[in-house]
Amino acid sequence: MIEFKDVSLVYPNGTEGLKNVNVKINEGEFVVIVGLSGAGKSTFIRSINRLVTPTSGSLIVDDEDILKAKGKGLRKLRTKIGMIFQNYNLVKRSTVIKNVISGRLGYTGTFASIFNLFSKEDKLLAYENLKRVNIEEKLYNRADELSGGQQQRVSIARVLTQKPKLILADEPVASLDPPTSHQVMNYLKQINREDKITTIVNLHFIDMAMEYADRIIGMRAGEVVFDGPASEVSEKTFEEIYGRSIREDDRRGGVEDE
Amino acid sequence: MSKHPSSFTPKGLYPAKTKWITTISLLVVLGFYLLSSFKTDSFIVNFFVKLPNVFGLISDFFPPDWSYVSSIWPKLFETIHIAIIATTVAVIISIPFSLLTANNVTTNSWLYQGMRFILNIIRTVPDIVLAVVFVGLFGIGAFSGIVALIVFAVGILVKLMSEVIETIDMNPTEAIRASGGNTLQTISFAIVPQVLPQFISFSLYVFEINIRASLVLGLVGAGGIGQLLNTQINFMNYPAVSTIIIIVFAVVVVIDYISSKLREGLV
Repeated sequence: MIEFKDVSLVYPNGTEGLKNVNVKINEGEFVVIVGLSGAGKSTFIRSINRLVTPTSGSLIVDDEDILKAKGKGLRKLRTKIGMIFQNYNLVKRSTVIKNVISGRLGYTGTFASIFNLFSKEDKLLAYENLKRVNIEEKLYNRADELSGGQQQRVSIARVLTQKPKLILADEPVASLDPPTSHQVMNYLKQINREDKITTIVNLHFIDMAMEYADRIIGMRAGEVVFDGPASEVSEKTFEEIYGRSIREDDRRGGVEDE
Repeated sequence: MSKHPSSFTPKGLYPAKTKWITTISLLVVLGFYLLSSFKTDSFIVNFFVKLPNVFGLISDFFPPDWSYVSSIWPKLFETIHIAIIATTVAVIISIPFSLLTANNVTTNSWLYQGMRFILNIIRTVPDIVLAVVFVGLFGIGAFSGIVALIVFAVGILVKLMSEVIETIDMNPTEAIRASGGNTLQTISFAIVPQVLPQFISFSLYVFEINIRASLVLGLVGAGGIGQLLNTQINFMNYPAVSTIIIIVFAVVVVIDYISSKLREGLV
C-alpha cells in the first residue's frame, strides 16, 4: 500500500535526508523505523504525507504517487494519512473536543469549518474516539490543562477522527515518561490490530521497537540499512544499525513501573 | 605585579580619549540647542517670564459654563460613534493584512516584503495629516474623520497583530495541514485561537487611541467634539471651552478605565 521507489531527498542546504530508498509497506503492518537522530527517520515518515517533498523517485500511497499530487489532490490524499507528533501539536488554547474534531477538516467545507458547523455524526465520532483513549471526561478542558500523556491521547483521538488508512507517528513517546510511553504505544498497537490501520512509528528506543513492532526498518545517514521482521532482530542488529555499541539511554525501560 | 612604575597615579576614571569625546559631544548639543533657540526666538525662560499672562488666561476659563453642557453631548456622542465605526471597520480590514505581513504565514517573500512596505508607508503618515487629506477629499464632517481613523488604526493594528502572529507556536498548523486541512482552515483552527485574546485586547486599545485621536481630528474639521472645541476657541468663549475639556477628560478616563479592565481579563 506504500511503496518508496528510488526515493531521494536533498535539502536546500545540501544535506541528504534520504538516499535511494526502496521500501514496500503492506496493509495493516505495524512498522517501527529506528535509527539515531539525524538518520533520516523523520524525513522518511514526513515524505509519506508530503510535509517534506523528496527531490527524486516516486512514492506510492494508496495507488497514487503522492510526489505528483498538489493542491486539492494532495489534501485529499492527506485525509487518508493520520499523523502523531512528538510535541502532540494540539492547539493549546482550544478545547479537547475542538482539537479532536479538527481531524474532520479535510472532509469539511471551509465555510462550515470556520463557523464550527460540524455534522452530528462528526461530533459523535469525535466523542467516541475520545472514549477509545479513555479521556472523554476532559471533553471541554483546554488542551494545555492536560498532562503530556493525556495530550498525546487526545492527538490519537484526533487522528482516529480523521478515519485514516494509515497512521504515521514521529517519535510519539520521546517527550513522555516510561509508563506513559508504554500506554501510548499500547493504544497505537491496539488501534493497528482492531482497525487494521497500517502504522509507521519512529522510535529510537530499542526495547520499545522490539516489543511493539511487527517489522523493523533501520536507517543510517538517509539509507535503509536493515529491514526485517521484529522477531529476527537482536541487540546485535541494533549495534549494526546504530554503528556503535548499545548504551543505557537507548532503552526506554519502565514496563515493570506500570 | 603592576607593569607601571610605582610612581604612576591614574589621572581619572576614564581614558583621556573618552573625556574628549564626551566634552565635544556636550558642546555640539549645546550649540544646536542655542542655535535653535535663537532661530525660533523661543527661550525656555519665557515660561517663567510669561507666567503672569498664563494665570490671566487661565482665570478666563473659570468658572466653567455648565449651562453649555447640553450642547456638548451630541458632539461628544458623535466622537464616540466615529471611534466605534472606525475601530470596527479597521479591525475587520486588519485581519487579512496582519496575516499577510506575518512572515510565518506569508512565506512568499515578495508578497510579505511588499505588504510590509505598504504598511510602513501608511504608518509614517500622522493621523492629523490623514484627516486634512480626507477632509479635502470628502468635505468637512464625521465621514472624513472616520476614513482617516480607519487608515490610522489599520496601520497600528496590523503592526501589533503581525508581530503577535509571528510569535505563535507553528506546530499545530503542521498537524492541521497533515490532516488535509486547507490554508483557511489552518488559519482558523491553528492560528486564530492562539492570537484571539491579544487581537481583542489590541482592538480595545486602538478604540481608546481612536477616541483621543478623533478629538484632535475635529480641530481640522473631521467631525466630533474637536470641531466644537475649535469653534469655541475661535469665539474666545473660554468658559465653554473649559466645560468641553472637563467633560472630554472625564469621558476619556472612564472609557480608558473600562477598556483596560476588559483587556486585563483577556490576557
